[in-house]
Amino acid sequence: MKKNKKATFGKKLRKNRVFLLMLLPAVLYTLVFSYYPMTGIVLAFKKYSYTGGIWGSPWNGFDNFKFFFQSGQAGLVTKNTVLYNIMFILVGTFFQIAVAILLTEIRNKTFRKTAQSLMFLPYFISWVIVGVIAFNVLSADYGFLNRVIEAFGGKPISFYTTPKVWPFILLFFNIWKGIGYGSVMYLAAIMGIDTSIYEAAAIDGANVFQRIFKITVPLIMPTTIILLLLSVGGIFKGNFDMFYNLVGSNGLLYNYTDVIDTLTFRALISSKDFGMAAAMGLYQSVLCFITVILVNKLVGKYDKDYTLF
Amino acid sequence: MRKNLRRALAIGLVSTMTMGTVVGCSSNKGDDNGGTQANAENVQNKKEYNGIDVSEHVDLTMYLLGEKTPDFDEVYGEINKILEEKLNATVNVEFLSWGEHDTKYSLLFSSEEKFDLIFTASNWAHYEETVSLGGFQELTEDFIKQYAPGIWDAVPEVAWSQAKIDGKVYMVPNYQTEFDQDILAVRGDLLEKYNMDGISSWEELKEFYYKVAENEDGIYASNEGPWYRYFQSQGYSVTGGTPRGGELFLYNTQDPDDLEFQYILDWDGFTEYCKEAKKMADAGCWSPDVLNSTDERQVPFLNGKSATMTWNIGSCRTYAKEANAANPDWKATLVDPIEENTKKVKPYTGNGVAINVNSENKERAMMVLNEFYSNPDVYDLSMLGIEGKHWEAVGEDQYKELDESGFGVDQNCNWGWKNDNINRKEVIENPTTVDEEYEAMDKLWRENIKEEHPYDGFNFDATKVTTQVAAVEAAVGTYYNPLINGLVDDVDSSIEQLKKALENAGINQILDELNRQAEEYIAQR
Repeated sequence: MKKNKKATFGKKLRKNRVFLLMLLPAVLYTLVFSYYPMTGIVLAFKKYSYTGGIWGSPWNGFDNFKFFFQSGQAGLVTKNTVLYNIMFILVGTFFQIAVAILLTEIRNKTFRKTAQSLMFLPYFISWVIVGVIAFNVLSADYGFLNRVIEAFGGKPISFYTTPKVWPFILLFFNIWKGIGYGSVMYLAAIMGIDTSIYEAAAIDGANVFQRIFKITVPLIMPTTIILLLLSVGGIFKGNFDMFYNLVGSNGLLYNYTDVIDTLTFRALISSKDFGMAAAMGLYQSVLCFITVILVNKLVGKYDKDYTLF
Repeated sequence: MRKNLRRALAIGLVSTMTMGTVVGCSSNKGDDNGGTQANAENVQNKKEYNGIDVSEHVDLTMYLLGEKTPDFDEVYGEINKILEEKLNATVNVEFLSWGEHDTKYSLLFSSEEKFDLIFTASNWAHYEETVSLGGFQELTEDFIKQYAPGIWDAVPEVAWSQAKIDGKVYMVPNYQTEFDQDILAVRGDLLEKYNMDGISSWEELKEFYYKVAENEDGIYASNEGPWYRYFQSQGYSVTGGTPRGGELFLYNTQDPDDLEFQYILDWDGFTEYCKEAKKMADAGCWSPDVLNSTDERQVPFLNGKSATMTWNIGSCRTYAKEANAANPDWKATLVDPIEENTKKVKPYTGNGVAINVNSENKERAMMVLNEFYSNPDVYDLSMLGIEGKHWEAVGEDQYKELDESGFGVDQNCNWGWKNDNINRKEVIENPTTVDEEYEAMDKLWRENIKEEHPYDGFNFDATKVTTQVAAVEAAVGTYYNPLINGLVDDVDSSIEQLKKALENAGINQILDELNRQAEEYIAQR
C-alpha cells in the first residue's frame, strides 16, 4: 500500500516535471527574497552591534519597542497611519474605477490614449520632486496657489502653518500620483467583460448609466475586492516617501501628518539603532497581518469566492 | 564530410579554449612568482618605519565622504609613490557621496567589509553611533605613540579628550582652529539705510531684523530664527553627544567654574527667546515657510530675498564676495553679532579618521595616517594637489592657487587629517573689502580665544539611555522647531506641552545620566 503511494507520487512528479520546473524559479524567488529575510525578525529582540552581527548580538527582550510607546506619540501616529491609508484606499479606488469607466466610454481613440498617458505620467515622478512642486504651489511667499488667490482679491493662506488642510493636500497628491497606474487594473477588468452583454443591454434599451451601474460595476467587483484586500495588507505602513517629502521637519503639522514611519525615522536617524528600527517594522507587520486575516474572514462571510485564501 | 568539418571545428575551439585557460593559469603563476620574488627582495633589504618592520607589502582601503574630483587618481598616484617607498603600502580611496553616506556608512560595517581607514566626525559624520555599535578600533595611547608619533605630537590633549567616549578614543581628530560661532553676511546698503554701522550684539541684531521686516518689501531679514545667536550671546554652548544635536542641554562655556547643565525648558532665557522669536516671526522677519524650505543657506541671500545669511566665517566670506561680484551696490559685509564674547574653538572631533575594527592591517593603517597627518609632502598633495599644476608654493607656509578645477582645495573631504602646524595659507591677490574684513576678524578672534571650560572636551555617551534618547528625538520635533522659529500660536502653552512630552519620554533619566558622566569626567581630569 505504502509502496504504491510512493510510486504514484514519483509518477506525478515525472508526469508534471515540466510544470514543476517552470514553477521552481518562482518558489526559489519567494524563499530567498521573502522567507529567508524574515529570519531577520530576531533583530527586533536584540541589542545589535557590528561586532556581534545579526546572530551574535545579545538578546534584550522587548526593550527595542519601548521607545515608541515612551515617546507619547504611539497612539497618534498609529491612528494617523491607519486613517490616512483607509482614506487613500477608499477615495483612491473610487477615482481609479471612475477613471477606468470614463476612459472606456470615450470613443475618440487619440483623446483616450492622450488622456490616459497624461494621467499615468505623475506615477513616474519621484516624491522628492513632488515635494518641491508642492512647495512651489503652496508656499506663502512665491506659491502659485496664493498668487492666484491674490489675483482674485483673496487673502493668501499660509499652508505650511495650517495643519488642518494637510489631510486634503496629502490626499490630493496621493490620488494625483496614483490614479493612472491604479486605473490600469480596472481598465483590464472592464476590457475582459463580454461585449455581448452590452449589446444585449443596448437592444433592451439600457442607457449609459444603466450599462455602467448594472453591468460594468458588478462585473468588476471581484477585481475590486481583491485589490482592496491586497492594499489592506499595508494599512499600518505609512508611505514614508510621501509624508517625508511633503511635510519634512515641519513640527507644526505633525499632529495631522505624522505616521509611524516618519516618527521612527526621526527617532532613530541620529542613533542608527538597527534593533529599534527592526522592532518598528515588526510592529507594523504584525498589525497588518492581523488586519488582513480579519478582513479576509469578513469578506469570506459575505461571499466565499472573494477571499484571498 | 560536413560532420567531420564540424567536429574538427569543435575540437579546434575546445583546444583553443583549453590553451587559453592554461596560458591564463601560467601567466597568473608568473605573477605569483613575481610577487614572491618581490617579497623575497623586501626581506633582503628589510624596510622599517619609525623602527617598525614593514617588509610585507600591504594595500589599504580608505573611505572618504564626498565626490571624486577629476585629478584625484593622479594626485593619489603621487601619494602612493611616497607611501610605497616609505612604508611599503599603497592606499586606495573609495568615496561615499554626500547624498548616500547617511545610509551606506552603516552598511560598510554591518556587512563586515575589511577596509582600513574611514573619515568620521562627531555629530555630523557618524562617530558616536558607529562607536556605540562597535564599528571602530579603539586607539590606545601606546598604539598611537608607537605607530603614529607625528600625530601624537601634533594633536593637543584636549582633542583626545573630546574624542573619548566612555574613556576610550576611537578616532584621530583633526587639528585646526575653527570657531564654534557663526557670523552674518549682511547687505551693507541696508545697514547704511538704517544708520547702523554694523551688528555687534543681540540688541542690534533685533533692531536690524525689525527694521528690515517693517520697511523692506519682498526681502526677509533672515531665513531662520536666530536661536543659536541668542544662547551664544548669553555665553552658552551645546553639550556634545546629547540628543537633538546637544541643543536641549546647554552649559555656560564662558564661565569655566559653572559646571551646571542648563536644561533649556527649565531656563527662563528659552521662554524669553521664544517670545521674542514669535514677535519677530509675526513681524515678518522670516518667511512662515522656513520649516519647509529646502533652499541652501546662501540661496535667499544671493537672490536678494534675504538681507542676511548666517553661517561660519569662511562660508560668509565666500558668499559675501559672490554677492558683491554680482551686485556691487549691495556692499555685502561681514559682521559678528556676538562681538563682546571671547571665542570658542570648535571641538577638534568635527573632522577625523578612524580605523575599522575589521581591518587586517590596523598598524599599517595608523602609519599611513601618520604620513598624511605629519609628512608635509603627502599633506600638501592631499590638501592642495600637485605642485605646479594645482598650486604654487609661496615661501614656506603659503601657497597661491593655480588651477582648482581638477582637484579643488578642501573639496575632497581631506579635512580628516587637517593639521594647522603644516597647513599652507592661501595668498590672495587683489583682496576685496570682504577679504580684508575676514582677515581682520580672523586675527581678532585668534587673539581672543576663550579660556577652556571643562565641558568643552566632554562628550555624552548615550548607550545606557538609548530608549530615552530615541523617545526624546521622536517627541521633540512637534514643538521644538516651531518654537525656535516663532511659529506657534501660544508660546507658554507650547513650552508647557513640550516639557511634558519630554518628561514622559524620559528626559530626566538622560539628565541624571549626563550629570553622572560629567561628574566622573571632572573627577578624572
